Amino acid sequence: MAHLPELTADDRGRFEWQLWVHGFGEDGQRRLKAATVFISRIGGVGGTVAMQLAAAGVGRLILAHAGDLRLDDLNRQSLMATSGIGKPRIESAISRLRDLNPHVSVEAIAENVDETNVERLVGRADVIVSAAPLFEERLQMNRAAVRRGVPLVDCAMYELEGRLTTIVPGRTPCLSCLSPERPPNWNREFPVFGAVAATVGSLAAMEVIKLVAGLGEPLTGRLLNFDLREMTFTTIAIARRTDCEVCGPRSAVGASGPRENR
Amino acid sequence: MRLRVQYTAQLRAVAGRSEDELDLPEGSTLAEVLVHVATEVCRDAAGHLLTPGGGLQPSLLVAVNNRAISTREAGAVPVSAGDVVMLLPPIAGG
Repeated sequence: MAHLPELTADDRGRFEWQLWVHGFGEDGQRRLKAATVFISRIGGVGGTVAMQLAAAGVGRLILAHAGDLRLDDLNRQSLMATSGIGKPRIESAISRLRDLNPHVSVEAIAENVDETNVERLVGRADVIVSAAPLFEERLQMNRAAVRRGVPLVDCAMYELEGRLTTIVPGRTPCLSCLSPERPPNWNREFPVFGAVAATVGSLAAMEVIKLVAGLGEPLTGRLLNFDLREMTFTTIAIARRTDCEVCGPRSAVGASGPRENR
Repeated sequence: MRLRVQYTAQLRAVAGRSEDELDLPEGSTLAEVLVHVATEVCRDAAGHLLTPGGGLQPSLLVAVNNRAISTREAGAVPVSAGDVVMLLPPIAGG
């Protein structure tokens, strides 16, 4: 990021309390302002990521989520509104995010990631956030992240549990190292409290902020698994698989290695 | 020897509990732990742990004492008394 944008008076006022964070400061804020983050999708987890990144001042958000809002989305999709039922989710998302921070550029696309659009959707991102309810989408984003050398934050939940890892291609395990195949018995409809989705979404947003601003220690080479039923947080050491079909030495994906200055 | 196995996510839901204590012969491997759980301790979990052909489920993530181990390697990984084996079926709730 050679040319970081200057902060405006509004920026200095809006972000005053986070500018006090040790190790962040004006340089970190300018890095956030220069960043483009792609998020798929914007349900309970991804919507929280989008809201927190808009609040923190990420310059550009690209959001992908197809379909119209349903009543049964609203226990967790806090980026949405009851008035948006029956309308495209992205309309509620844009409205809510612009209310929160009108200076963030929000590009919302009514599509879900698949092999035909993944390169176009993630192509301009400095960081990818994977919050899709289908493994096919997550594995597509993982392949695109490895191919482009772009960091990916993978965040997921089930019932009262959440899971999170930060993937830096060329340095850390990729999603395929952890789960090389689509699991046979994942159910697209899963038990969820909005508070659990928002917890893992907030953790993922913090990972993006850390990656972009160079703050703290991202969750690389580690997988966080938390269980809010018993309030336990476990960090598991994870390693690259030499036979990984996506990021391993014999992969056909064509990893370009990590980009610098993230 | 005695060791603990912990269930997470969908496995916890089908097991109806968060962990079991196992008593296995000295020198058992991680693969033997998984087969023992699937066939003796928590048969409802079998679909998450084993393939229809009886092999270890390749999508399953397993951690021994908070270090992840691929199921492809589990046959060569010995476990010890006091180990904690965490079973993490992939999740994608978003």
